[in-house]
Amino acid sequence: MGQPAIEVRGLRKSFGDKHAVAGINLEIAAGSLAGLVGPNGAGKTTSLSMMTGLLRPDGGQILIEGRDVWADPPAAKAIIGVVPAEVRLFERLSGEELLEYSGRLRGLPAAEARDRSAQLLGVLDLAADARRLVADYSTGMRKKVALGCALIHNPSVLFLDEPLEGVDPVSADVIRQLLTRYTHSGSTVLFSSHVMELVEQVCDHVSVIDKGEIVATGTIDEVRGGKTLQRAFIDLVGSKSTGEEGLTWLGSSSS
Amino acid sequence: MARLLVQLKLRLLRNALRASNGAKVGFIVSTVLALAVAALVFIVLALLRGNGASVDLTTVIFTVFAFGWLIVPLITFGLDGTLDPATLALYPLRTRPLAVGLLAASATGPWPLANVIGLLGVTVGLASGGFGVLIAVLAVLLQVMFCITLARFVTTALAGMLRSRRGRDFAVLLILPIFALYEGFIQIVPRLAASGRLTAASFAGLDTWLRWIPPGLAAHAIQDASDGHPGTALARLGLLAGVIVVLGWLWVRALGRALVTADTTTQSAAVHGTALPFGRFGLRGTVAARFWIYQRRDPLSLIYWGIIAIIMVVASISTVLTPRYMVGLIIGGFLGGAFVGNFHANAIGLSGPAFGLEAMALNGRRSMRAYFSGQNLAMGVIAVPLLTAVSFGLAAVAGHPLDGFLAMAVDLVGIGAGLALANIFTAAFPYPVEKRSGTPTPRPIDGYMGLSAGVVFLSMIAVLVAALPVIFGVILTDTAPAAVRMPVLVLGAAVYGLALTWAGVVIAAQVAERKVPELYQIAVRTRL
Repeated sequence: MGQPAIEVRGLRKSFGDKHAVAGINLEIAAGSLAGLVGPNGAGKTTSLSMMTGLLRPDGGQILIEGRDVWADPPAAKAIIGVVPAEVRLFERLSGEELLEYSGRLRGLPAAEARDRSAQLLGVLDLAADARRLVADYSTGMRKKVALGCALIHNPSVLFLDEPLEGVDPVSADVIRQLLTRYTHSGSTVLFSSHVMELVEQVCDHVSVIDKGEIVATGTIDEVRGGKTLQRAFIDLVGSKSTGEEGLTWLGSSSS
Repeated sequence: MARLLVQLKLRLLRNALRASNGAKVGFIVSTVLALAVAALVFIVLALLRGNGASVDLTTVIFTVFAFGWLIVPLITFGLDGTLDPATLALYPLRTRPLAVGLLAASATGPWPLANVIGLLGVTVGLASGGFGVLIAVLAVLLQVMFCITLARFVTTALAGMLRSRRGRDFAVLLILPIFALYEGFIQIVPRLAASGRLTAASFAGLDTWLRWIPPGLAAHAIQDASDGHPGTALARLGLLAGVIVVLGWLWVRALGRALVTADTTTQSAAVHGTALPFGRFGLRGTVAARFWIYQRRDPLSLIYWGIIAIIMVVASISTVLTPRYMVGLIIGGFLGGAFVGNFHANAIGLSGPAFGLEAMALNGRRSMRAYFSGQNLAMGVIAVPLLTAVSFGLAAVAGHPLDGFLAMAVDLVGIGAGLALANIFTAAFPYPVEKRSGTPTPRPIDGYMGLSAGVVFLSMIAVLVAALPVIFGVILTDTAPAAVRMPVLVLGAAVYGLALTWAGVVIAAQVAERKVPELYQIAVRTRL
């Protein structure tokens, strides 16, 4: 195996007394489409924020294709793209302007940024809405245009936080196809999700995080161990409710 | 239904006392303010007794209240859930009981109560005799009912538009004329009154046409009843009641339509133009392009520029009209520059989570310099002509249009210092902001109020200190020939202002270069 695309060693972050990320280690091979799954509050977003240079860790090391994110941020940031969980963009730009802005921020010449923007809008099925303000976009359209912003400089590693949350099935399929095409070219994707079916369908590698620690990592088959990923996940992180007691009035047989 | 909605409103008011500290303080301040307004209006109306223009002034005050009821809900739409019929559309409610309930809920709370109490000052100021007082009480109740029905009808009829992004953008811009009226009232009216240029007699005859609008009907009914014309008084109140009934009927129809009308939130027109400007100027040009577009499309930016112009005019106009007009011009220029700085002193906090897109591209001092200087270019392109135009306008009003060049010198150094401080404060003391009820301008989130106030205070002081050389230059060269004095002062101020701005960019870039993640963590907490 060559150099991993993403290498995380002993990553830690605390907020007051709470250990949000408690020393995680992770290796994602180049060309992999990897999932980071965990329940709400497990530390997924915190981990991804630190891996992308947007949240300073308390300790540990993150290497993106061998470039240390926190020792040499410009080198690492140049080769990564990010789509945050809560997609809030520059709402008063049109989709077209936002993509061009993103490209130009990343150092692309204006003409090249414009050209790539037009192509991305076409692939993402946003061409008809290219000149509408992002403020008027639906959730799915926002996720798609945010993905375009993350891809426009052709990064070799892409980080996505809950990329399909709140996205309609048609938009989700467009995003899935684009990610698959992207990784087939040798680029790497790490995305967080709590939708196990999605991870099972598209990922070749998965890591399960719970209470700030990686509790399982490997190929999809290794982690699920003959069960569905959903079942394996629940076994790993534990179910919190029996669901048997209470709500006796609920249902059409009750009055 | 009416009882239920009134209980809901009372519960919401009680819950405000259990909310965050900011909301609690806001509620208490609002309630105290309502009581103060009630007392003040009552006293003002009561003091009109025996005044020759009492009915004219009462009509004006009644009209101002109706105008307030009409405008304020348009601005606060989206912040008060009870104003939007869409929030109730999911419940199986019939239109008529719902309308009665909403009307009762509207009449509940400290501000409607303050309205009634305050306007009852007419029982002392305008009414005389038992019948006059009875009609006065009825007139006040009908006047408040008219205000509530009018406000409900207009907000419901416009609900579809106000839920759309474009409608909300338009509505928040209404804050500008209100701010201008408010500032004009508190700054100019007391000075005019003190100088004897504004007296109660100034309002005499004003109601020749106001008397036929509903607030005028209410005021004149009281006078008619007090003057022994009970028939006319009752006819006027009857007409007012008729207007309320018609408005109510229109409102019920609008409500019925609004409950089943599709949301237009995502319907919008396309923007003009296909590309961002300044494509040949690297990162600086890229950032300038984004800020330039935002200054034109973001209602908050438009509001800030409008407020800057209003402050310049209002703070200086009364001095500009005196022989000491130059002091007014200097004050206007200084305040313009200071507020350019104040309003942009938290650029990253105001960008919000979208700053993440920029944070991924900002690495090192060089890129941070490009980021801040790009912002300044966009701001400067607007600030310089705007402040210059206002200054020349004020100089023309003073009767000395050429002295606009002297005010322009103060503008230039003020803008330079203001932008420099805005950059430094943005890098050194950013803070997250959130929407606040009742106004489109955001406020710092809890815990950052002190920092925000400190930034404003320090910014004002620092801009004043930085502008002092030019201000002294203007004052001390009073006897020099204008042909020499003006070009030297304007050019000197431009160079000095540019130097200040550049110094601000350099310092801000040095502060920000190693704290981009921390700046992002602040920005991501902004909720606009």
